[in-house]
Amino acid sequence: MPAEVHVTIRDETDIVTARQRGRELAAIHGFSKTEQTFIATAISEVARNIVAYARRGEIVLATSQDQGRPCIVVVARDEGPGIQDVEVAMRDGYSTSKGLGMGLGGAKRLMDAFDLISAVGKGTTVTMKKCVR
Amino acid sequence: MADTTFAGTDLPRRAEIEIDEQEVNRRKQFLEFRADDAEALKSLEPIAEQYADPVIEDLYRHFLSFDETGGFFRDPKVLERVKRLQREYFVRLTEGDYGADYVRNRLGIGTVHERIDLAPKWYLGAYSFYLRAVATRLLEAFGKEPQKAFSAFLSLMKLVFLDIGLAVETYIAARDRTMRKQQEAIRELSTPVLQIRDRLLLLPIIGVIDTHRARLITESLLRSIRANRARVVVMDVTGVATVDSKVAQHILQAVAAARLMGASVIVTGLSSNVAQSLVALGIDLGTLNTAGDLQGGIEDAERILGYRVVRAAETGRGPQLAERR
Repeated sequence: MPAEVHVTIRDETDIVTARQRGRELAAIHGFSKTEQTFIATAISEVARNIVAYARRGEIVLATSQDQGRPCIVVVARDEGPGIQDVEVAMRDGYSTSKGLGMGLGGAKRLMDAFDLISAVGKGTTVTMKKCVR
Repeated sequence: MADTTFAGTDLPRRAEIEIDEQEVNRRKQFLEFRADDAEALKSLEPIAEQYADPVIEDLYRHFLSFDETGGFFRDPKVLERVKRLQREYFVRLTEGDYGADYVRNRLGIGTVHERIDLAPKWYLGAYSFYLRAVATRLLEAFGKEPQKAFSAFLSLMKLVFLDIGLAVETYIAARDRTMRKQQEAIRELSTPVLQIRDRLLLLPIIGVIDTHRARLITESLLRSIRANRARVVVMDVTGVATVDSKVAQHILQAVAAARLMGASVIVTGLSSNVAQSLVALGIDLGTLNTAGDLQGGIEDAERILGYRVVRAAETGRGPQLAERR
């Protein structure tokens, strides 16, 4: 297993690939079935945002250690239009793409750590982390 | 077979790959194909005209000596035609003006290869043969100036690799197209709506629900509800490993549409993992009728429809079954 897994995101099939890779990686590192599903779902949410707003980008999956516990770090990166107001975008029910508006907030709740950096016109980077309980 | 496939060669099907002038230039830059290369090739035109026929004769002799490639040219008429086209191809290499038109012409040829199912290994092998045949002829033509022959050959190599690149891309594009078609076919196949009782439908969903498939599922669901005058639909999602907010939205929309058609939907088979992640996501599926598993869902549905399922033995009917037990 390479140290990092890169998945280019261009369409819906890539979303599936990304979350499957995430699930595999989580399984190898001893995450429970539920945690695997959480990670796969969170990856799915951020990958969907790439397709919906930036059209293309990438997901990078890596592993790390936190006090002896294995962790998975997910980075979703795009050079899309960026987010005007991150606080509003994180709000549940807010969507500019006719979605449920639960993606970002939901991904944050599914993971242990969540960080979003965005610059209008430059792109968005989401970094998420979850460790084995 | 070969005859019909080659019949359209004079009018190559429009290539699916679009390559504009800018892209052509970028490729040439990478190949270091410059104006002097184009000049050098153009100056070879008389030599190309002179040697075209013998080179092509050599090439087809080689093709015909192998079953895998010879099979394409059994018919003498076909052979005649492809030799003529091959000659055009050959001479075109030295006609100058290697822009978007040239590329379009080359892509058309690639499309023909793909259509007749000429595997890349034979195409590339033939190209190697071609280059060697041309190299020999160039040395011959330049006589006491092998240096010039070599330099001309290098210019030719660059152009040939531009051609090969285009041909390979045509193969890949064809493969992609096939894969897309198959995916389409799988999607279509994998959304069955089954009637299990009068007015009761079963919709098992397996695999990935994307936007396209969600639309197909909803459409076939609504069509079946109408056709079967269904009152209850059991939608089983046991086979769906990940339900994110988009998939949840698709399910909610399908259920809402079914309700408008007068059918209520019972969702079954949400795994505990999926249920927990939906709760964590914050998605409210409280409006859905759910049942733990498919059996429970069908039982609920039967209750709604007023069916009562009893074992044959309990009713006193069905003696064979009772005896067998």
